[in-house]
Amino acid sequence: MSRSITLGHYLPGDSAIHQLNPRIKVPVLMVILVILFAIKTLTGLVAMLVAVFLLFAVARVPFSYFLKGLRPIIYIALFALIIFIFFTKGGVVLFRFGPFTVESEGLWQGLFVIIRLVTLVLFSLLLTLTTTPLSLTHGLGYYLKPLSRIGLPAEEVVMIMAIALRFIPTLIEESQRLMRAQVSRGADFESGSIFRKAKNLVPLIVPLFVSAFRRADELALAMEARGYRLGARRTRLHEDLIKTQDWLVLLMALLLLAAVIYNQYLR
Amino acid sequence: MPGTPFASDALDNITFSLGRGSFTLLIGPSGSGKTTLIQHLNGLLKPTSGAVYFDGKKIGADKAALLSLRRRIGLVFQMPEEQFFSETVYDEIAYAPRNLGLDENKVKERVVKAVERVGLEHKDLLDRHPFQLSAGQKRLVAFAAVLSIEPEVLILDEPAAGLDPAGKQKLFNLLYGLNRSEEITVLVSTHHLDEVAALADYLLALKGGRLMMAGKAREVLARRTELQGLGLALPQVTEIMDQLSVRGLPVRKDIYSLSAACEEIIRVKRADQG
Repeated sequence: MSRSITLGHYLPGDSAIHQLNPRIKVPVLMVILVILFAIKTLTGLVAMLVAVFLLFAVARVPFSYFLKGLRPIIYIALFALIIFIFFTKGGVVLFRFGPFTVESEGLWQGLFVIIRLVTLVLFSLLLTLTTTPLSLTHGLGYYLKPLSRIGLPAEEVVMIMAIALRFIPTLIEESQRLMRAQVSRGADFESGSIFRKAKNLVPLIVPLFVSAFRRADELALAMEARGYRLGARRTRLHEDLIKTQDWLVLLMALLLLAAVIYNQYLR
Repeated sequence: MPGTPFASDALDNITFSLGRGSFTLLIGPSGSGKTTLIQHLNGLLKPTSGAVYFDGKKIGADKAALLSLRRRIGLVFQMPEEQFFSETVYDEIAYAPRNLGLDENKVKERVVKAVERVGLEHKDLLDRHPFQLSAGQKRLVAFAAVLSIEPEVLILDEPAAGLDPAGKQKLFNLLYGLNRSEEITVLVSTHHLDEVAALADYLLALKGGRLMMAGKAREVLARRTELQGLGLALPQVTEIMDQLSVRGLPVRKDIYSLSAACEEIIRVKRADQG
């Protein structure tokens, strides 16, 4: 079960990429996504694909993670390829199935979109693999802060996200434990029709909810006991400093963006 | 998670066998692998290498065989009352027999029998909501919910965790009774030897996923320094007898229950006077 959620699974490490400040990593990823959409040539995209390969090597992420991260988008990619192959016309006719024709333009554009999609997912994956969910939330939360002026409780939203992320593994573990316990009492979660299966899940879902509510209650008490108050200003244990290398990385990303835009649109 | 950077050996090089009708204690500090080991015993987990045999047959992947295995081996998880999902105690205990595909008359028979076996008054208990019960009652109901499978082997993971001393005593006496009068094979995991040390025939000590000691309970319990090296405290009453003998009262030191301690002290006192 826990294996099926590789996307967003943090991999501990101490590479330069791990150490980048999340407040910089998030905008850098944004810039890279913009670059990926701005690039109009296949060479440019392939260069970005090579770049993400190199970054994975720098972060020392095993190759298997790379492939696992791509698994969820296989179907989307295939679907996109099929749509492009059959519906984009132009260039030389490559194949002909009755009324359908596959033309070279469609094939090229299909491949182009797939490479863009793969590169995009890999860059995002690199972010989540090298950043703990908690610091990622803080990184994102930083950019929510200005919204508190128009009444959005930014601090609280970040806290909610952080707690939700923190408890996903706990709940997965809990559901596995419960599943095993009920299987020991003769439960069968695998066979039967879809309705039967849904009904069979009751012994799993009820205790899961009960414990989630109990946990929420205890957590709320513990937080209040340690002085958490809604709307109060909070400080952090680890000072969140943006270092020179962080600025440099951001600068490099922006320069690359400028270069791509100049090359593709202005020249 | 084999094959990932998070992979580690939870259990390593463990060999033991449980005799039919025996009462075995699996002891070890927290995180020593007791729960993981226990979950291998009814096929919930499969060893990445090695094998578990029950009644001469290897526990494998065959689904039908696993189902029949789980009818013969009852496994009570840690904090089993956290699995409650029914609206009445009756339905909670009836869950397992219903899963066995029994008709409702048979199910009722089994529920009543299970409740009697754990020594609960079932007059109005069966219609109550499981969450209304006291902690001790909840534990006994959870225990009955596994006993209703009518297994030949009972495996319990930290059955006394979170119970008061009276509840613990009651639970262990119950287990001992089932073991002795109905010849049910019992394996209990615990990190707390109080109340239970005197009941066991055999003892397995686990630490860091390795089997450190195994053998007859009395023999293992006699190896005190080794046990203490594993981070396990002897029963308090044993420590008291130890202190008494250090301070000059000639009592035996292999005493693991309160009643045995009383008898021993009285014996020594009488010998003293006579």
